[in-house]
Amino acid sequence: METLSLEFKVNGQEHKLSVTPNKRLLDVLREDLNLIGVKEGCSVGECGACTVIMDGKIINSCMVLAGQAQNSEILTVEGLEKEEGKLHPLQQAFLDAGAVQCGFCTPGMLMSSYNLLQSNPDPDEEEIKDAIAGNFCRCTGYKQIIDAIKLAAERMNRQS
Amino acid sequence: MDFDFLQPTDLDEVCKLLNEYKGKVKIISGGTDFMIDLHKDELSPEIEYIIDVSNLRDLNYIKEDDNKIIIGAGTTHNEIANNPIVNKWAPVLAKATNSIGSPQIRNRGTLAGNIVTASPAADSVPALLVLNGKVKIKTSSTTKEIPLEDFFIKPYQSKINQDELIVEISFKKPPMECKSGFKKLTRRKAVDKARLNIAVLALQNNIDEIEILRIAPGSITPTPERFEKTENILLNKRPTKELIKKAAEQVSSTMIEKSGYRWSTEYKKPVIKTMTRRILTRVLEVE
Repeated sequence: METLSLEFKVNGQEHKLSVTPNKRLLDVLREDLNLIGVKEGCSVGECGACTVIMDGKIINSCMVLAGQAQNSEILTVEGLEKEEGKLHPLQQAFLDAGAVQCGFCTPGMLMSSYNLLQSNPDPDEEEIKDAIAGNFCRCTGYKQIIDAIKLAAERMNRQS
Repeated sequence: MDFDFLQPTDLDEVCKLLNEYKGKVKIISGGTDFMIDLHKDELSPEIEYIIDVSNLRDLNYIKEDDNKIIIGAGTTHNEIANNPIVNKWAPVLAKATNSIGSPQIRNRGTLAGNIVTASPAADSVPALLVLNGKVKIKTSSTTKEIPLEDFFIKPYQSKINQDELIVEISFKKPPMECKSGFKKLTRRKAVDKARLNIAVLALQNNIDEIEILRIAPGSITPTPERFEKTENILLNKRPTKELIKKAAEQVSSTMIEKSGYRWSTEYKKPVIKTMTRRILTRVLEVE
């Protein structure tokens, strides 16, 4: 098995890595780049815990072979923080609304809701539900997560 | 599972590689089925090479000419569901692709992938069947086009050969006045396979007689197909509640004829009947 030279941008930073072709994008992010905010849940594209943004679209990083991310731009939960130590308004809202219980789904939820607010800064409840339909939470029953996304949208709209 | 990863830059190279490594090679595009097989270690041990076509622009397009809509094999479900041409001419396909998986899956999964897996429950397939869809298949030296309804052999097995690649899916533009519907029944609202699905396309003339009727239920036969016997019950007639009821019962009995009596039949028999009745009532606007 020939190793693969993978060049891509993650959270704004260029990377050039040598990876084995059978690795998933998820493995490269967690193991090679130590971005362990990206969680592995079901491994079969159902739970959304491994959600990252690839070239502007949310994807399950367990469903992408490392080589398929060649020349792409990836954003993970670690890239949401704009300044060192300062949470993204979505992250703050998740804390304030009690949307984090065990926390395992949180990074994926954040990426799906970040992606939603990028294109739709003032979503209604149905649009929020559609946007996080591919992210499972087994603790909150989703209510607090939906509240958090509404709260973040409100705060972000007030700021701008 | 060890393999070499190949990323050709154009279609001819893909076909050349498929021919050269025949039997030892597998295509990956959206990966939403492939990656599950990889994770479960269920890929054939003969596979030595993986060809990635997910970034091939040659396979990613939605075009129209005077008569047809033409969709590149690598176009994703979300690209199809949100495309104005598809929404104008084939809302049934937009609806079906929009029902697949989750936003994450729809951003990766492709139309050809949904077809080539040959799942009896594929959502795009009933929609493409009522559109009389065709599949264009290429090898390094040939190109052929076959009707989608002839593409499947049995569950999870299609007529695609090891050196062949689906490059395009196309269908004739239905008359603008056509009405259509797609309905899918799942255990939960998102991220679920269809327990049952059904697509319908119909055209009625100015005295309400049905001139075109195509009905394709999914997940009830080994390979998805149009139910022409059912269509004939309503064709050239004005739709009534009674005729629709008769058609719905016919779908149910055809299912048993084609699939035998299975563990799920007790459930599917009344449910597909009701789904058929409801979708026909809605599409044909019967009070």
